[in-house]
Amino acid sequence: MERPERSATALSAQPRANGCSGAGHSTLRNGYVRGLPASDTQINHVVHNGGLYKRPFNEAFEETPMLVAVLTYVGYGVLTLFGYLRDFMRQWKIEKCQNATEREEQKDFVPLYQDFENFYNRNLYMRIRDSWNRPICSVPGAKVDMMERVSHDYNWTFTYTGRVIKDIINMGSYNYLGFAQKAGTCQEAAAKVLSQYGAGVCSTRQEMGNLDKHEELEKLVARFLGVESAMAYGMGFATNSMNIPALVGKGCLILSDELNHASLVLGARLSGATIRIFKHNNMQSLEKLLKDAIVYGQPRTRRPWKKILILVEGIYSMEGSIVRLPEVIALKKKYKSYLYLDEAHSIGALGPSGRGVVEYFGLSPEDVDVMMGTFTKSFGAAGGYIGGKKELIDYLRTYSHSAVYATSLSPPVVEQIITSMKCIMGEDGTTVGKARVQQLAENTRYFRRRLKEMGFIIYGNEDSPVVPLMLYMPAKIGAFGREMLKRNIGVVVVGFPATPIIESRARFCLSAAHTKEMLDTALKEINEVGDLLQLKYSRHRLVPLLDRPFDETTYEETED
Amino acid sequence: VQEKEELIEEWQPEPLVPSVPKDHPALNYNIVSGPPTHTVTVNGKKCINFASFNFLGLLDNEKVKSAAQASLKKYGVGTCGPRGFYGTFDVHLELEERLAEFMRTEEAIIYSYGFATIASAIPAYSKRGDIVFVDEAACFAIQKGLQASRSSIKLFKHNDMADLERLLKEQETEDQKNPRKARVTRRFIVVEGLYMNTGDVCPLPELIKLKYKYKVRIFLEESLSFGVLGERGRGITEHFGINIDDIDLISANMENSLASIGGFCCGRSFIIDHQRLSGQGYCFSASLPPLLAAAAIEALNIMEDNPDIFQTLRAKCERIHKALQG
Repeated sequence: MERPERSATALSAQPRANGCSGAGHSTLRNGYVRGLPASDTQINHVVHNGGLYKRPFNEAFEETPMLVAVLTYVGYGVLTLFGYLRDFMRQWKIEKCQNATEREEQKDFVPLYQDFENFYNRNLYMRIRDSWNRPICSVPGAKVDMMERVSHDYNWTFTYTGRVIKDIINMGSYNYLGFAQKAGTCQEAAAKVLSQYGAGVCSTRQEMGNLDKHEELEKLVARFLGVESAMAYGMGFATNSMNIPALVGKGCLILSDELNHASLVLGARLSGATIRIFKHNNMQSLEKLLKDAIVYGQPRTRRPWKKILILVEGIYSMEGSIVRLPEVIALKKKYKSYLYLDEAHSIGALGPSGRGVVEYFGLSPEDVDVMMGTFTKSFGAAGGYIGGKKELIDYLRTYSHSAVYATSLSPPVVEQIITSMKCIMGEDGTTVGKARVQQLAENTRYFRRRLKEMGFIIYGNEDSPVVPLMLYMPAKIGAFGREMLKRNIGVVVVGFPATPIIESRARFCLSAAHTKEMLDTALKEINEVGDLLQLKYSRHRLVPLLDRPFDETTYEETED
Repeated sequence: VQEKEELIEEWQPEPLVPSVPKDHPALNYNIVSGPPTHTVTVNGKKCINFASFNFLGLLDNEKVKSAAQASLKKYGVGTCGPRGFYGTFDVHLELEERLAEFMRTEEAIIYSYGFATIASAIPAYSKRGDIVFVDEAACFAIQKGLQASRSSIKLFKHNDMADLERLLKEQETEDQKNPRKARVTRRFIVVEGLYMNTGDVCPLPELIKLKYKYKVRIFLEESLSFGVLGERGRGITEHFGINIDDIDLISANMENSLASIGGFCCGRSFIIDHQRLSGQGYCFSASLPPLLAAAAIEALNIMEDNPDIFQTLRAKCERIHKALQG
């Protein structure tokens, strides 16, 4: 068992950049614990991490039980066999092919899709397609109305019965602070701006698209984040994919986390820089890559890199984990690289006053070079922003692809962001914002604790409002979604390719709008379904993340 | 190890961004107060607006605004989720149906940002190893889509069909040398209906002939020509009287004539359905706010009910062209 005194002395003798002790214990590194009771956990974290972390960092990814992994592979094997059988029958016209097909006149063109690419789509995805793209017809708040749809041909086509299923508890929308409302101050302000300015803008930012509303928004965002200056864009995805190319180019190095979002990956690829990937949230892997990069330089010419950019996210939406920001910043300062933090999910959701992951760890926003985020999740609007020093934003104003070629934000959306941000900051004169942030934190802790007690395997950090619950087997993906809908709870289930093939999961997104009664109802139903589908896999054996092996030459280089 | 420490100490990166001179022309934007309609107040001065893409004047149309208000009261502002996870609203489905009906195709798909539409559509079909023939004057969004797709790009001179035919013939001779590879290499031509960079119209009938002769698929980008060309505003296919099924994919954005935000692609279900799982800007991004979708539906209603606005627009264009050319 761990001996706190020993690790404390080792630490004071040899502090390292990422706060990790050189003790070499396989069980106590970076604050992971193996099966310790809760009271001891607190002491170990605060002492052990040498003051870089001002609060306990409890993140855990329980190992997949062996039997479950085997059964999952068997399940996929059976599905693949059946897939081949059905394809064979379709090819020999024994079974009707319900796919849309190419035009007669174009039958001799090169086929647009390769048959094998769509194997997964045709044979596995089609069976459980009704868990996704569920149409709703009310505001996506804590409770939502869904349009009922049925399929008579095994999910190839859907028909709407016309009925509306009312008051489904919504655990799928990214509504962290509950600003998705159809009445209230935000909506009234947006309505006023809509009648004054209209819905569209019809011009790019550098031409006629820069309204006075946009200037107001950018000053407010800069104040909210605590940075010198900020710039807002029309779409969160486009913010990443159009601004990373403006910051780095050929001859630069991008170090990106394994599980980064598609927009970050696309932005990195479009920039033309060399990309190297480090294991998820693994600071040893990142440090090794940084050392090697500076010592060995560019791959063939050995010239030094022009600059190094580290891409991380605040909360990773599929894992529910929070980035180890104090260690990343310590590494960044030691190796003189730049940090790009994508706070799509964490802005508004973490931190005592909702300022994001930087406030959550008690750090200064000046340490992060580029703070990026989106307005879609916590602010109930659309669009993205980048905040940072004045030179950075000035440069982006002139060189960003989005400013030159893409439309700016729509005015009522801008007003919604302004009103909701003022509410969170408390500038509208009420304490509604602060109450919501606290409610979200309470909801998160309560929900996670109850689910763990029930015996489910939950991934991620204790404070993250994104809660992935592991399902593993392909059949359970569809079954979980459908059973929960029968009990009037809407959940999101994800499988391959968004997650590794055996780690399919259901993901709950908590909201400040969820009352305790709604959470209790949801927990009761989840408990029932968990018993019905045998989902309670947890044996309470947590595995430290660093024990996952990472091999020495783990980076993949892409130079387009 | 000592050497490594020294190297790490010595290395100095470039500054993250180069500094921008204070008098850079693009640094200080013009501030527009109030709605950017036909008369606009720029930096405090009242001007006539010849800079916005508000072709049909629907930006401050009262009916469009009231439809958007009704939607705002019902749905709030944001959708809080991508299309796959409770972000599909009935307004989105309605807008897709209306657009498909208006353009007389089988299906349409909506994106939440105009730039992302064509930039996500091209990489969904064209991958590494495929060949794309694109006009030199293609707009920036197309260029980004092509870069993301990693296919081999062949540029032909602007609106020059002879040049394009030459490239296609060269490709044909290459194919004969390696028929196995040619059988799996997809080929596309990407053109715009009305070019943003030059203001010309592309010669679509000749392109259709080349399509069937050399077996290449056509992707047509109609951001500027949707709602402008054609008798009822259906774009360049109506302008030239071409069967819309001959074009594999039409992509347009709703930020010009429809005075909303977002974009759409329309075509046959065989082609469009693929984007619902592999269009990056569709799967990984939040859906269009419902009030903007409702505004687009109302704008579409106005376009269908008043087909004479297109004649008015064309007459005005001809007048200005004649006056400027002398």
